[in-house]
Amino acid sequence: MIANVTVKVLSHTKYLCLIREVTARFCSICGLDEELTGNIRLAVDEACSNVIKHAYLGDTSRRIVVKYAVSKKEIRIVIEDSGKKTLPEMLKGRDLNEVRPGGLGVHFIRRVFDQVTLDPKKKRGNRLLLIRRTGEQNGL
Amino acid sequence: MDFEMSDYRGNKVISLAGEIDMHSSPVLREKLLAVIRDRPQRLIVNFSNVSYIDSSGIATFVEGLKHIKAYSGRLQLSEIPKPIMEIFSFSKLDKVFEICGSTDDAVSR
Repeated sequence: MIANVTVKVLSHTKYLCLIREVTARFCSICGLDEELTGNIRLAVDEACSNVIKHAYLGDTSRRIVVKYAVSKKEIRIVIEDSGKKTLPEMLKGRDLNEVRPGGLGVHFIRRVFDQVTLDPKKKRGNRLLLIRRTGEQNGL
Repeated sequence: MDFEMSDYRGNKVISLAGEIDMHSSPVLREKLLAVIRDRPQRLIVNFSNVSYIDSSGIATFVEGLKHIKAYSGRLQLSEIPKPIMEIFSFSKLDKVFEICGSTDDAVSR
């Protein structure tokens, strides 16, 4: 790995803007273009929003850890919580042809990352691994 | 996020600015639904100064649309910046919402 960054915040929605900012800056430093940076920023924001909503059920006093790492081949982002277990089937988005509020966040995550997996070894809480292969776009 | 109401040629216009995320969308939802409770025939939401929207923000507008359609009103979204328009298109909501180039364009429809 060439660079590593870790951000730890409380599970309050007011910190989502901070996570977005760090995500965007990290992608920018890695040489990703504006469009890909924007899509990764949205995906990480959605994943952290899901932690607040589904894993911590709105409890604002818990912790979210976001770890960023980049190599010549990929960007790897890990999001950890110690809340309620996310079931793998929750990582499937709803049918996009349905018009109803909610259920889009998972699509925003899946459209930009090549790999979206929950670590089954994590005993308490969740560890979501997001990998985006960057190829030549990665400027590092 | 900033939320500003105005009247334009007899139509209600909401001008939004800043970021719409899970932190700000509950406030947006409350204000949007309060406007819709007055049953405007046409409600225009101007996005020109919106820099970011997430799925909770999109969900707020889908909910607003359902309320407004229930009494045959119109919800028109205008001046959506390109990166945000791309999110509406990806979600297939560009075909669901009435999307207009400008407030004048919305009023003329």
